[in-house]
Amino acid sequence: MEIPEIVLDNLLLFIPLILLEVGLMITALIHVLKHPDYKFGNKLMWILIVVFIQIIGPIVYFVFGRGENE
Amino acid sequence: MKDIYYFTKKELLEVWRTKRLLILLIVFIIFGILSPLMAKLTPEILKSSFGSEIQLTIPEPTSIDSWVQFYKNITQMGIYILVILYSNSVSGEVSRGSLTNLVTKGLNRSAVITSKYLVIAMQGVVAVCLSFSITAAYTAYYFPDNNSPHIVIALVPLLIFILFLSALIVFGSAISSNSFAGLLFTITTIALFYLMNLFENISKFNPISLIGENVSILQGETQLNEQYWAMSISLLATIFLFSAAISVMNKKKL
Amino acid sequence: MNILTLENVSKKFGEKLILDGINLTVPEGSIYGFVGKNGAGKTTTMKMVLGLEDLTEGSIKIKGESVTFGNTKTNQWTGYLPDVPEFYGFMSAGEYLKLCGEITGIPKSELSTKVKSMLKKVGLEDSKQPIKKFSRGMKQRLGAAQALLNEPKLLICDEPTSALDPNGRREFLDLLYSLKENVTIIFSTHILNDVERICDHVGILNEGKIIADTTLTDLKKQFASSKMEVLMEAKDNVLLEDILNRLIHEGKVQTYEKANESYFVSYSGDYADLLEELYGSCKKAHIVPNLLRKIEPSLESIFLEVTR
Repeated sequence: MEIPEIVLDNLLLFIPLILLEVGLMITALIHVLKHPDYKFGNKLMWILIVVFIQIIGPIVYFVFGRGENE
Repeated sequence: MKDIYYFTKKELLEVWRTKRLLILLIVFIIFGILSPLMAKLTPEILKSSFGSEIQLTIPEPTSIDSWVQFYKNITQMGIYILVILYSNSVSGEVSRGSLTNLVTKGLNRSAVITSKYLVIAMQGVVAVCLSFSITAAYTAYYFPDNNSPHIVIALVPLLIFILFLSALIVFGSAISSNSFAGLLFTITTIALFYLMNLFENISKFNPISLIGENVSILQGETQLNEQYWAMSISLLATIFLFSAAISVMNKKKL
Repeated sequence: MNILTLENVSKKFGEKLILDGINLTVPEGSIYGFVGKNGAGKTTTMKMVLGLEDLTEGSIKIKGESVTFGNTKTNQWTGYLPDVPEFYGFMSAGEYLKLCGEITGIPKSELSTKVKSMLKKVGLEDSKQPIKKFSRGMKQRLGAAQALLNEPKLLICDEPTSALDPNGRREFLDLLYSLKENVTIIFSTHILNDVERICDHVGILNEGKIIADTTLTDLKKQFASSKMEVLMEAKDNVLLEDILNRLIHEGKVQTYEKANESYFVSYSGDYADLLEELYGSCKKAHIVPNLLRKIEPSLESIFLEVTR
């Protein structure tokens, strides 16, 4: 896979950003899998949201999606 | 006073264990990185979208662009995440009934409001400062120009606005019976302030102007003392909303 | 000495009158059963005593001190166990009790031993998991622990047993009874059996009015409908009916009815006299009763009678 020049030029910005995004995604994903009671929606829906919508997905899950008893 | 200390400890434990603090900080760190990145990428994106045949004269981005992005991210997205995360702060506890036990044990109701306000305002201030420091560091590294001399002074109005916003969140949550109503109240109030800002003779006093002139202040085009009125009004409104939230809470049926 | 008095207390929700000028007195050291149908206003009354709900009219005093809505000073003497206690799900039972203790002002040096002994008392000493993972029964026990932590003078329990299984109920009632020495207890319930088991005072709330506020013994005396039960060998029933009919004729017995194998006899006058008369008649007719006994009115029958 070829990394675009623009990314290579700004590694100092991209590396922490990607780490945070991936970290957020993994935290949310683990939470989705471990706590299968949600305010609404089902497991598959939340997995897709958390994995494919960067940043916003995990936030929406933590704020609106997770069940009362986490 | 003791009640405030113990209940604040509980609030801090809560935002930590329910991961709200973590989410808020991560998002604001991301904004801190994203702002200079967007400033750097905007010309590139413009270039690639227009194609290389047309010779556009796109100016090189400067530190100003980075700060424009920062204030845009924080004031158009960041503050609303604070609102969304905490709009059920009071109403949630009232409707669940988790305050009943503690109030019948002698917990002062005003301590509930005070602790909640302190913890929300503190998180807002810490998150903004963290984001600010990250943007400041990257901006100094990538855009070492002299276009933004007053970055710290420009942050002051935003921090005061956060203090005001936190009081608005707590008050909105205290008068509402659920998180959605609280959210709606806070968002509607902010929208009204934006609307009022259209009238020039009011905007001088309007709390919302505290998040509109920051870039102009850091360039030195606007002086901080031009916003003294708006800052004073905001602080007064903060005290008013805070006291009003306490009296609403004192009359709440638990 | 009365620890709690309600004088002329009324409560309206909008236009609806829930409580209509009720008077109540709870003597110190009693276990007071507060009885009423579901939705009669028991919870509302208790919340008003705790300053969680405002009064439309009247006054409430705990230890002579007026209860005020909002922040009330009287809460230093009260412990409250709501029907469905709510806690902070992110805390452990120990952390929650510690918070409660800090708020009531238990000195730091005593707090951790106190929390430990209280957890042991309610059987939660080994629970390390957060409260959100607790079962209903565990929450009820933690509720009792938090209500008792500050050694209240007046413990107010709202339907504490209705969510528990028979074993849990017995254990909980035993726990309440064991506290009698130091605490005055009010508990609301619609399970009359519980009241008969441990209470010495009863208040009955019906249609917004207090229709009984007295000791259990007095209440039973007041509503004692003179009744006795007679059980014969089935072959002798005809002879017994002859005797009973004669007694009705003589005005010593009012009515009788047969339920299952027994005859239930309502009478006026003294039990001892009737017993002698009846036994004498049986002897003359050469029949021997298997059972002769006086029937104590149950709280349930009283309740049904007064709320009719």
